[in-house]
Amino acid sequence: MSFPKKPGGKGLDVLQNLPRITLANLRPEPGARKNEKRRGRGQHGGNRSGRGHKGERQRGTRPRLGFEGGQTPFYLRIPKYGFNEGHSRRPQYQPLTLKRLQYLIDLGRIDPSQPIDLTQLVNARGVTIQPLKRDYGVQLVDEGSDIFVAKINIEVQRATEGAIAAIERNGGIITNSFYDPISLGILIKPVPFFMRGQPIPKRMLPGEDMVPYYMSAENRGYLADPEEIQQARRALAQKYGYVLPDISKDELCHMLAMRKDVRQIFFGLSPGWVVNMPEKKILKPTDEKLLQYYSS
Amino acid sequence: MDGLFPAVGAILLQSTRRRQNAGKKPNKLNVIAFWNQKKRPEEKMAASMLGQRTAALCGALKRASLSKAVLLASCRSGFVLQAASYNPKPLKLNLRDPYIPDKESNKTPEWQKTSRYDRKLFGRHGSASGVAPASLWPSPEELERLIAEEAEWHPPLEVMLKNIKTREKEETQMRLAKEKLIAANMAKMPKMVEDWRREKREAKQKLKEEKERKAKLLAEARERFGYNMDPRSPKFLEMVAEIEKEEKKKRKLLRRREKAEQAAVPPAAPPAAQS
Repeated sequence: MSFPKKPGGKGLDVLQNLPRITLANLRPEPGARKNEKRRGRGQHGGNRSGRGHKGERQRGTRPRLGFEGGQTPFYLRIPKYGFNEGHSRRPQYQPLTLKRLQYLIDLGRIDPSQPIDLTQLVNARGVTIQPLKRDYGVQLVDEGSDIFVAKINIEVQRATEGAIAAIERNGGIITNSFYDPISLGILIKPVPFFMRGQPIPKRMLPGEDMVPYYMSAENRGYLADPEEIQQARRALAQKYGYVLPDISKDELCHMLAMRKDVRQIFFGLSPGWVVNMPEKKILKPTDEKLLQYYSS
Repeated sequence: MDGLFPAVGAILLQSTRRRQNAGKKPNKLNVIAFWNQKKRPEEKMAASMLGQRTAALCGALKRASLSKAVLLASCRSGFVLQAASYNPKPLKLNLRDPYIPDKESNKTPEWQKTSRYDRKLFGRHGSASGVAPASLWPSPEELERLIAEEAEWHPPLEVMLKNIKTREKEETQMRLAKEKLIAANMAKMPKMVEDWRREKREAKQKLKEEKERKAKLLAEARERFGYNMDPRSPKFLEMVAEIEKEEKKKRKLLRRREKAEQAAVPPAAPPAAQS
């Protein structure tokens, strides 16, 4: 014969018996509010208000930063050298640590049972990509590879060897694929693109300087040979000292093996299709030449 | 290689449907079986419970939905994680009162009569915009232009690989040639060093000899004339000329004597050999 427990318990009792909350009963958390610095008040803070004694210091007329009293300053003595030459033409890749990726997966912002794409990362607000600032995508960095324990099928634009090893150690798949700037803009913001009413363009191939990177199996490039990739996986497993798990025996093997076509931007959507957002329809072209162009 | 789920499309549909189906069972994508367990009937019920609870939450917060990951430890299965994933921006489709400009009137601005604007109208309002879908794709002339542009600026993979190969071959050839040249020159180095050292030594020696000769001549002049003469004066030069002559005569005498000796020696040797 146990008495039924009242929901809420002691907390509710306390709440019901204490006086009402007013401004007089409230107080901020200690350390939450810090008083601002007020200059020129008090015996020690007043007088010169922390500015010093006479001269440019007190009068606020100091010369510009870097000025050395007339002597040729350091920043002008040193001769120019092309360290930053052409910096605005260099492709940039936003780094994504494995630690952050694990964090996103743990919080449920990224779904590991679906292929992870740049669209998913941007939707989860895991990374911010600015295609107009010469960003060519996201790169996977191996900080946090010791705590990474998720099995995922991920597609990034660059990845370090350690990151590739960490993902494959957990039975996942990583691919490096290239998106030209227009495709990248469409990939990170698909809905505004569909509202434009344009047919989905085909992804362009990388430039000559990037082709070797995306064709090599060590980097798991999307243009590389699958057999070479298998060999590279085994070699990497040997190098980093882990047993390579067999993916073909996995339940999610079909999902993990999903890969985009070389010219495809979205899973399930081919180049040349027009997506009608208001009516939730997809329009496909029927003209031969168009089909040939979009499937080349 | 297309996927099972059009990931983007599914997420879009989910976002638009979510408001409408708040009370019903949540979409399959919403509930993730974290350790890939097959759905048991209890899990399905748990899922439906989850759906109703989230519906209540949504109603309570008056549609101010934030991205939440609601981990329900009290759930019977214990392994199901409700993923709210991301909060999509609400898609405001103006389907009741769309603005479709009048193509014939001259009051509408020019840019509203272009094909680009037509495409945008179609994208925004769908078939209600009255735009023929066939005009969304490039016309035959435009298509030809696109194909030509692509052929010029985006060569196919084989062409690019060929270019890369030729470039690399050239580079390696240049590098090898340079290294060969360096190796050959380095092989020549000891001899060149020796030659140079020899020349230096000889030059030094010559200088020394010159100096000695000059000193000798000066001493000779000093002996003869009794005072230190200037080597540039005419007397000194005459003296030098005299000495030269004497030396020449001596050398000639020496040569004659040698010749005589040589002439004497060979006739002596053959008769000695014969006899």
